[in-house]
Amino acid sequence: MLARRTLARAPSALSGAGPGNARNMATLREIELRLKSVKNIEKITKSMKMIASTKLAKAQRAMAAGKEYGIANSEVFANSTSAASAPNNKLFIVISSDKGLCGGIHSSVTKATRRAFAGSADSPLLNEERKPVEVDAASPIMVIGDKSKAQLLRSMSGNLRMTFNQIGRDVPTFADAAGVADLVIKSGVPYDSVVLVYNKFVSAISYEPAAMEVRGEAGLKESEGFKAYEMEDDFTKDLAEFSLANAIFAALTEAHACEISARRNAMDNASNNAKDMIGSLQMQYNRGRQAAITNELVDIITGASAL
Amino acid sequence: MSSLRLLASAARRAPSALTLGRRGYAEASDKIKLSLVLPHQPIFTSTDVVQVNICAATGDMGILANHVPSIEPLRPGVVEVVESSGSKKWFVSGGFATVHPGNKLTVNVVEAAPLEDFSAEAIRTNLQEALRVASGNGSEEDKLEARIEADVYEALQHALSK
Repeated sequence: MLARRTLARAPSALSGAGPGNARNMATLREIELRLKSVKNIEKITKSMKMIASTKLAKAQRAMAAGKEYGIANSEVFANSTSAASAPNNKLFIVISSDKGLCGGIHSSVTKATRRAFAGSADSPLLNEERKPVEVDAASPIMVIGDKSKAQLLRSMSGNLRMTFNQIGRDVPTFADAAGVADLVIKSGVPYDSVVLVYNKFVSAISYEPAAMEVRGEAGLKESEGFKAYEMEDDFTKDLAEFSLANAIFAALTEAHACEISARRNAMDNASNNAKDMIGSLQMQYNRGRQAAITNELVDIITGASAL
Repeated sequence: MSSLRLLASAARRAPSALTLGRRGYAEASDKIKLSLVLPHQPIFTSTDVVQVNICAATGDMGILANHVPSIEPLRPGVVEVVESSGSKKWFVSGGFATVHPGNKLTVNVVEAAPLEDFSAEAIRTNLQEALRVASGNGSEEDKLEARIEADVYEALQHALSK
């Protein structure tokens, strides 16, 4: 009895070393490893989603306040449109951030910048007649955030003047915006108006690139509407600098909220995909295991019946 | 007779209560739409108010409805908003007030807080600290910053003592 059992096991052990079964065992092992790694990835994406969800409420609150601030700030620009659209020098500031894993947030603003330069029909920069504004191909660009910087370096490296990073890790503060505005003014790059390219918050699941134009001192002075305002002294320079910081702040908070909500969605999708993958891998693994067991049983039974 | 008089007075009072609650065109003309906003918090957003007193860099001024469009930089001081229900005071650190065509006033300030929230103790100690740095031997930039800080505290002290 004992001898028979050992005999019966011997062929199966032998056949286990054979080519067909060996591959089967290896794939089982492989599937198990993949299953484990996918499960780990799911854990990571799930926790990233949870973090983004909690941050989202804070970011949205900051955005609501920042938006009101921006609306109050842009009132003066809305009233001082220039009649003659002089081909003025535009300085582009592209607002993204340093971190990835948030869908197409960064490439959205990068592509919008390229479209604005190309003057294509879906350029974010439109004039009053909803026509794309012509942009000088040599217009300077400044980038906030490493991700868009890397993307713009590839195609428009000649236009890049300055880049900022470490902004937008947490909810942006006015000090961040003021620091950026200060460096932009100190950089000495001449401009008549600054165009901020940022992501506009549409809803919790969507965003779109938008452009906001902020006139500089010279741009304000030559506009017709601006002359309607009374000033005791000439505060145009102060106003232009303050407005630039305000506009940057509004764009930063909105872009930040977009990024967090995009990250939440991206991580939600990743978790769902991981869950699907885990399901199919588990199925494959179980089937493979069952097949291996069946094979072994067949071997044992044929061995036993041959005796 | 007396009951009749009561009825008449009640009838007289009713329409006035109605006009108070109602927002119409006639009333909008003697109110100005105010947006007083901070980077982290809007205080007023396009709210109809009667009068706004600001302390502009060129002097204190009161803004009523249909003011001529103008741009005023603010110095540290008190912004008083007079609504039909009463007035409230904020201390602002600085910013810009802009009166727009179309009976609109926007006040963008970097920081503001209700005047009654300040503690006189804290102001005094912080003012002393700022004055110490301003007269100390730091870099020119640090000293200037401390000087501005001290100016804000002095303005705050002045506003509280009123």
